[in-house]
Amino acid sequence: MNSSPHILRDFDNAIAAFKSEVLAMAAKARHNLERAVQALMERNSELANSVIADDDDVDDYERSIDQHGMDILVKYHPMATDLRLVVSSMKISMNLERISDHAVNIAKRAKKISATPELSEVNLIEPLYTLADHLLRDAISSYSDGNSALGASLHTRDKELDRMHKQTTAHFASRMEEAQGRCQEYLHLIFIVRSLERVGDLSSNIGEDAVYLEHAKDIRHKSTLEREMSGEE
Amino acid sequence: MQDHSVVIQELDFRYGSSPALKNINLEIPAHGVTAFIGPSGCGKSTLLRCINRMNDEIAIAKITRGSIHINGIDIHDRSVDVVKLRRDVGMVFQKSNPFPRSIYENVAYGIRLRGEKNKAVIDQSVQEALEAAALWDEAKDRLDESALGLSGGQQQRLCIARTLAVKPQIVLMDEPCSALDPIATAKVEDLIFQLKSDYTFVIVTHSMQQAARVSDKTAFFYMGELIEFGDTARIFSNPTVKKTEEYITGRFG
Repeated sequence: MNSSPHILRDFDNAIAAFKSEVLAMAAKARHNLERAVQALMERNSELANSVIADDDDVDDYERSIDQHGMDILVKYHPMATDLRLVVSSMKISMNLERISDHAVNIAKRAKKISATPELSEVNLIEPLYTLADHLLRDAISSYSDGNSALGASLHTRDKELDRMHKQTTAHFASRMEEAQGRCQEYLHLIFIVRSLERVGDLSSNIGEDAVYLEHAKDIRHKSTLEREMSGEE
Repeated sequence: MQDHSVVIQELDFRYGSSPALKNINLEIPAHGVTAFIGPSGCGKSTLLRCINRMNDEIAIAKITRGSIHINGIDIHDRSVDVVKLRRDVGMVFQKSNPFPRSIYENVAYGIRLRGEKNKAVIDQSVQEALEAAALWDEAKDRLDESALGLSGGQQQRLCIARTLAVKPQIVLMDEPCSALDPIATAKVEDLIFQLKSDYTFVIVTHSMQQAARVSDKTAFFYMGELIEFGDTARIFSNPTVKKTEEYITGRFG
């Protein structure tokens, strides 16, 4: 990343404000996910409603980041690292918006589960959330700190989340057959697990954008072996 | 193997006691556009002028080491005819400089100088050159009018037509659009794009966007040295040398 100041100070200000906006959006999306899972665990419909309402803020961030990114492209014609920063930030903002959408999905299902008798297996969600949240946290750090090694590591770590997703989904599916009166709730839990698995995928995407930002390397759609062979993981 | 029009090897160049180019090694591919970029005084125009020995006209200018080969021939070899070299390696300058004659005469002059006397052949060559320079439609009904009556953009395209009329292999352009408005600039750039399969272009430009738009290869110079050379798309998205990154992103000096 460029650390020395730009000759045009206005450009540096625009870039700094742009990056701050992406980080503020990331914090908001992560907070929404945290509160959605909290609403599920604590059977708190009010909290779930506020997550659903706050998604509008994330949508506003996405629109604003796209607009400011376009403004920078039009006004300053950035090159090299600066160009990659604008492009990758706009892509990261799109991934963050989807993460917040998954938080909304979880919150909506949390409300429905709260309206039924308590289900102890809701606790099985927690380890998946913890891993998904760590992946998201590290994805954001890889972008904000220019840590491409951390960004590249997310792809492999996401495989653990995929494994947990399969295992937990299989468990809930078998419970659906056993406890037929509670089919609906288990179905909600399966979709919640799926949302958390998607948060892992989207965080991995953000990590890949951070690698592109730092080294102009496109590591998307590469297998773990290909990444290892090219020294990216 | 790639066909290289111009091969520059270990070139040192001085203006009097001041070194202007140091150990330049560069292979300019044929049938493409190569852009020279860098801050003022970095040596990019000096190197451009070395390619058709324009610097020979400057008394204190001297190549002190190295060589330039065009299509395998050393351009400083005793057997090389400098007039023919400059016909083969045409040049378009920053400021359009048509002769104070008619549009037709501007283009016909070089053709006649080449030895052509047949009026019909000259007429045909003038039309072809003006068509190649995308000026025929605008100029065909006023060929006898003064070239100085053309707009700046048209004058620059006339200079390109004048250069093309003598059938060069290589066209050197020293900031050809710096005095043109965006429309005239786009026309010249479109012209370069249309003609690059038939000619080898080397263009000096201060506009990063222009270099990114028109060139296939870009060379970045700083204080008389070639810092980085490579595919334009890579130079402008992921330069490998820190100095290049600093220059193209505006974090320089």
